[in-house]
Amino acid sequence: MELQELIINMGPQHPSTHGVLYLQLKLNGEVVLDCQPHIGYLHRSIEKIAENRSLTQFIAFTDRLDYMASMNNNLGFCLAAEKLLGITAPPRAQYIRVIVAELNRIASHLLAISTFAQDLGAYATPLFYALRDREKILQIFDQLCGQRLTYNYLRVGGVSGDIPVGVDLLIKDFISYERRMLAEYQDLLTGNIIFCVRSKKIGILPKELAINYGVTGTSLRASGVKWDLRKDEPYLAYDKFDFNIPTGQNGDSFDRYYVRMVEMEESLKIIEQALGALPEGDPVAKVNKVFRPTGETYMRTENPRGELGFYIVGDGNPFPYRLKVRSPSFSNLSVISHLVKGLNISDLVCVLGSLDIVMGEIDR
Amino acid sequence: MLSKINDIVAGFISILKGLAVTGKNMLKKPVTIQYPFEKPVMTEKFRGLVDLYPEKCIACSQCVKICPTAALDLTATTNPETKKRFLGAFSYNGELCCFCGLCQEVCPTAAMYLNKCYEVAYYKHGDLTKIDLLKADKYQHLTPPKVKGLKK
Ligand code: SF4
Ligand code: SF4
Repeated sequence: MELQELIINMGPQHPSTHGVLYLQLKLNGEVVLDCQPHIGYLHRSIEKIAENRSLTQFIAFTDRLDYMASMNNNLGFCLAAEKLLGITAPPRAQYIRVIVAELNRIASHLLAISTFAQDLGAYATPLFYALRDREKILQIFDQLCGQRLTYNYLRVGGVSGDIPVGVDLLIKDFISYERRMLAEYQDLLTGNIIFCVRSKKIGILPKELAINYGVTGTSLRASGVKWDLRKDEPYLAYDKFDFNIPTGQNGDSFDRYYVRMVEMEESLKIIEQALGALPEGDPVAKVNKVFRPTGETYMRTENPRGELGFYIVGDGNPFPYRLKVRSPSFSNLSVISHLVKGLNISDLVCVLGSLDIVMGEIDR
Repeated sequence: MLSKINDIVAGFISILKGLAVTGKNMLKKPVTIQYPFEKPVMTEKFRGLVDLYPEKCIACSQCVKICPTAALDLTATTNPETKKRFLGAFSYNGELCCFCGLCQEVCPTAAMYLNKCYEVAYYKHGDLTKIDLLKADKYQHLTPPKVKGLKK
């Protein structure tokens, strides 16, 4: 049959685009010939806002970047600010930060794998199970800082409050509960042949392409590159814990899903160790009330989605002169046009789900 | 042909396996609550709408300065003899507020706090934008109308 090209707009409002993302597809029947992502629908000029906010005030805005992993965003920004100001958080704060960051990583991965399964047609069951488990983490955070999504819990120099009495027990309960549940998900999803057939060998991301595009996080590790900042450039107390970095072999959608699945188990290990070795002391360092940053710095941390970097320039005023966010989802999304060529539209949805992007940090 | 049939059988077995997991969960207790008939209890640290104990406030303006969204506004008068500051007016814009809790954290006398109100739907624009924090019944108009059959 004669090749007939058809240009179709998928999004900006589409149930499977994970936020307001607009994909311009060039199709031949069901087959995708080209896919061009268009972004900017969620732009709130957060980088510009940062130039009119003090460092303490801006922490509340980092919550709104990657809203699935607000704690990790808080952490990235606080570490960057501390590096610029020459502050070190006390050991107790560092351990608490590790615990909340890993809890948030699990919450984020749970949502990632379940929406991925939903994109593949496992309509609501895995999603509801994952939301049920995520709810437990949100309740822990609610008791910790009083919010369920926009935590604003970390501060420059520590955390805003110590772990309340009883919450450590909740976390311990959650660890044993989640271990059982993860085994169940392995049965439900990894062991499901339909799920495997739909996701294996779909959207293969070669190692070189991933590195060239700056893809990081689980998507990079699924392609077989063992690169995790928690191990390779340890911040906080991560060098004191014993955990593995799972990697995939083929770099297909299934590997990206599976790496996330294994990473949650590793995160549970880290939380268990951190909770067992939680040092005594103050949860916040003695710091000035007003920070006057001078000089420039770049700090990157491992977000659930990849490398989150904050570049801050200060000129002695309370407000930063310039602030730049390097968001992992942006680079991860940029490979999509290479991954989906020649696939069906239904497989495009699968690839998009497996990349696990959050539009809040792409558009900033 | 044979491999196709094999695939179908294997797929069917996976579905049954999945259904077994679903069935196991079906017998568990529900984790949801019947809102609005049942209301969740907010945690101790929950950050709802901003509230004030006017008698405790010393009009130091620290909360106004720290607020990242400029949701608070206060005018104070100074007594020329004793150099003491008095609150003139204190307004709060709930639509700008991002519930960060910084005002509560910075207040030296614990006059400002975030209450447990989480139902912030309202009928008129402006109901939440100009809240007079000095009034005692400032959030009365936000209280939702009674739902029939509402359990206490
Ligand atoms: S909670 Fe935050 S945004 Fe709201 S009034 Fe207080 S400081 Fe401002
Ligand atoms: S910080 Fe507290 S005492 Fe000072 S003006 Fe605000 S509410 Fe009043």
